[in-house]
Amino acid sequence: MSLPILHFDTETSRTLMEEVMDRSGQNLLACYQCRRCAAGCPVGDYTGMTPDRLIRSIVCGDRESALNNLLVWKCVACYTCGSRCPNNIQTARINETLKEMAKEVRLEPLLPNVAAFHEAFMKSVYHFGRLNEIELMGRYELTDLGRGLKKGAGWKALAASIRTNTRLAISMMKKKRLHLRLQRIKNLSEIRNIFKKTGKANGG
Amino acid sequence: MQIAYYPGCSLNASSKLYDIQCRKVFSQLGIELKEIDDWSCCGATSACKTDYLRSLALPARNLGIADASGLSELLIPCSSCYSRTLVSQKTLYENSKLKDKINEGLSNKVEGKVKISSILEILLSMVHSGKIPEKLAKKMDGLKPACYYGCLLTRFPADIEISDDVENPRAMEAVCRALGAEPPDWSYKTDCCGASASVNDTETSLTLMSCILKDAIARGANCLVTTCPMCQMNMDSYQERVCEIFGIPKRLPVFFITELLGIAMGLTADELEMEGHFVDCLGLLKGLKLL
Repeated sequence: MSLPILHFDTETSRTLMEEVMDRSGQNLLACYQCRRCAAGCPVGDYTGMTPDRLIRSIVCGDRESALNNLLVWKCVACYTCGSRCPNNIQTARINETLKEMAKEVRLEPLLPNVAAFHEAFMKSVYHFGRLNEIELMGRYELTDLGRGLKKGAGWKALAASIRTNTRLAISMMKKKRLHLRLQRIKNLSEIRNIFKKTGKANGG
Repeated sequence: MQIAYYPGCSLNASSKLYDIQCRKVFSQLGIELKEIDDWSCCGATSACKTDYLRSLALPARNLGIADASGLSELLIPCSSCYSRTLVSQKTLYENSKLKDKINEGLSNKVEGKVKISSILEILLSMVHSGKIPEKLAKKMDGLKPACYYGCLLTRFPADIEISDDVENPRAMEAVCRALGAEPPDWSYKTDCCGASASVNDTETSLTLMSCILKDAIARGANCLVTTCPMCQMNMDSYQERVCEIFGIPKRLPVFFITELLGIAMGLTADELEMEGHFVDCLGLLKGLKLL
């Protein structure tokens, strides 16, 4: 991915930067590119983009790079960048904001599995008020399978993925670490209400 | 003495053993854990990655319940739940408009008065007060646990002061030393194991885990110890795969801190339900004559 670091578009940069600053609550203008975040980022070696560069691309108004890069999707939310930033910028919060923005413009996630996992997680919380791991795994696998079929992925690859996760599930069951009993809360309407007031009502 | 207790989904399912251990160990230390009523999921990393407001509102519901319980302190053993709940409390404390907005939909309103404690904070204070030392039945001689804090005990996506060092925390080492164990110094104690990515971006997670394991082994550790159920599950259940892929010959059992504490206080492996480990942990303890 080439980053137009030196290109500055006054028309678009204000809107993108202001929107990200406003929604993430992070002061991107405080970044002076010291790259302590980059040095500490555990996924920076694999993303072609580090927190400092992400901030730079937002400041420069490069919407395409900002919304569509591997860092946003590979970020493991370890908060190392934020805790080391001398100006207290939490890039993890910026990544979360960019994920929301990418979803709003219906941009296909670069790592669809990551998006599918977190959405399946939230659906489980919406249904029962608590996370049920067995529901999460089932829902996630089905989404994965559906996407694979749509994209025409080979049966072999799909079967391999299912086999790996089924193996994990079976070994967890053997160790009594996966339970078939679903946990749920009594006051589910309160949880549904929280989901209605935030994000989308369907739990996704 | 009673402390309010939020186990979280993980301690109610895949890490049920951690929940059982917490209750037993604290009961022996004279503390009754009072589970808060009808608690719900904190949203964990997934809520942050899908909707910011929701990631604050979900823990807020539990905070309201904890505030209404009348108890002054809330123990949250899971690092992820601890982090999310603390961030929610702090953010709502600083932003009363947001607090009012979230409170509108809650039957128990967030007041923000309950003190949220990690398991490590409480254990460390009990080491200092002498409560833990007086309950010990044996010395954990020969045990060299690499104390693994992971991400969420010391780093927060908000301005939150903690009593330990962010980059080089030492509370867990202090607790382990009080038990007679010799935790080695090492470099990966607060590095991420990639638990939130282990299912959906496995390669990333396996790579991160390999660095942690390699350093712990190089520093002479004979096991890992953690307080986080995500880290424990990840480092334990995926360890075989990590070691195969990255050519690591040794395996390290991954203990919960409550397991080391429980054993040192004379509880048995059965009482602590320690059969739920993927990497054998009883062999090491038996070899060191601790069981």
